[in-house]
Amino acid sequence: MEIDQHAAGTAAPPPVRIIPIPDATSAGYWEAAANHVLTVARCAVCGQTTLPPDMSCPHCHTTEPGFTFVPVEGKARVRTWTVIRRPFLQGFTPPFMLVDVELNDHPHIRMVAGLLDGAEAKLEIGTPVVVAFEDIAPKISVPAFRLEKSA
Amino acid sequence: MSRVFKARNQVALVGYAHSPAVRRATRPLGVTAIETAKAAIADAGLTVGQIDGFVSAPLLPASGEHKAQDGISIVSSHWLAQHIGADPAYAVGFQGIGQLIGSLTLAVNAIASGAADYILFHRALHNPAGSYNDNPMTEARGADQWVAPQGFYGSMPTIALAYNEYCQRYGATREALAVVVSEARKNGARIPWSAWYGKPLSVEQYLAEPTLFDPLCRYDADMPVEGVACFVLTSAERAKDLKNKPVYIAGYAIGYPRENRPMLHWTLDDMMEAGKGVAARLWRSSGLGVADIDLPQAYDGFSPFVYIWMETLGLCKLGEAHELVLSGGIDSDKPRTIPVLSGGGAIGNGRMHGVPQMLENYLQLSGRAGERQRADLTTGLSCHSTPSLGGAVVYTNDPV
Repeated sequence: MEIDQHAAGTAAPPPVRIIPIPDATSAGYWEAAANHVLTVARCAVCGQTTLPPDMSCPHCHTTEPGFTFVPVEGKARVRTWTVIRRPFLQGFTPPFMLVDVELNDHPHIRMVAGLLDGAEAKLEIGTPVVVAFEDIAPKISVPAFRLEKSA
Repeated sequence: MSRVFKARNQVALVGYAHSPAVRRATRPLGVTAIETAKAAIADAGLTVGQIDGFVSAPLLPASGEHKAQDGISIVSSHWLAQHIGADPAYAVGFQGIGQLIGSLTLAVNAIASGAADYILFHRALHNPAGSYNDNPMTEARGADQWVAPQGFYGSMPTIALAYNEYCQRYGATREALAVVVSEARKNGARIPWSAWYGKPLSVEQYLAEPTLFDPLCRYDADMPVEGVACFVLTSAERAKDLKNKPVYIAGYAIGYPRENRPMLHWTLDDMMEAGKGVAARLWRSSGLGVADIDLPQAYDGFSPFVYIWMETLGLCKLGEAHELVLSGGIDSDKPRTIPVLSGGGAIGNGRMHGVPQMLENYLQLSGRAGERQRADLTTGLSCHSTPSLGGAVVYTNDPV
């Protein structure tokens, strides 16, 4: 990204983040996220959870899963991580840390999201993190994580 | 699958051609495909009129915003058959990931079933102008909405996450991965059509390169290239009358993802779990075991895949591939090693999507590897993509 270093007296505008566009399968997820609540999709037939919701349930394979979005505790453990120094997407200022976590109360669900503690954070497998949200636009918040000890 | 793979050793590779793999092409991809196909047919000692089957996988793998245009950025079986002047009985394309093995199984099955007698099998790779992976999206819809708003996009972050879990679990170091990349580039530097011909990369050069997706650097991914490879397949019976020594397909196996994950979230555990099924099916299909394989070729579209395949196949114990590499165990120039990248792989040739692994098997087992010819080879194996999205093929030049 080109940043005009000579724009006297004005900071560079914050990068424009990519906006998630909810659809019929995800509206409940993003509504909850806007209220800083992390949810997972629960199948109305078998009661098991997944993320992201698919057109069928990955557990019982019903084509009428009737997913509802149920809040989760929001605590997770780091499985792995990477520092992105060359993003493929606009709106992200490198370097930044992505963590791949498993949710404590739904350990079969893995999520990849930003770690708000920055690229220098010290991590190992199992490091506890808690969900946090980035407010990227009016009424649009994106899940991220923060080290539990710093939260 | 029934207990016996009925096509075992019934289908043979009988000829090939490979265009130069180049960073930027000066001619349309379709022109290169036509010429390479003609060369492969001639190499097999056949004529276009005898080719009654065309099989390929036309995917354009770039994840940026690039259009698929037949003859320009992709080359489909139908396009090639039409432009080479053939009248095929069977022309199909494989859709999905694991293109090389997915399409190769179509070709093997078509010969074995009698759907075609002589198949021209091709893979044509285009390197689009501009950035290969950059995506200018400002809104994320569908599958993208679960990853892109968080900054997760593109295959390198995917592999970096899986590989870092391997590193953390087993203590693998950047020094070991440097040996993998250097081995691929050493061997690719000896192959005239390679994009890296005459350009090896030392361990020191690798280690001096800054990471881009920790712990990976740009050398850990194969370089996008433009190039075409073609093979000719026919039945074992028909192969007896052709000029080249046949290389038979002994068996194959493909793996599938089982977990519901966001797009491009390929976890280490998912790949290894799928690998157990791939290995079991591969040995059952081919009637061989890992100890029977003289020339395994690991897929290395991203360098960590070499460890994943070595451990999936049982060439070493789980978590120990990096140690074997660091102790010189994959050096193709030393005796009694496991030369998993003797053909240069994807990192040593350019992004030809599994072609180098298949071609090294063909060249070595048919005795056509020239100065690189290895001695006393009967069996080989090529790995493709990951165990959860691709699979592996077993070859022999001496069917029992």
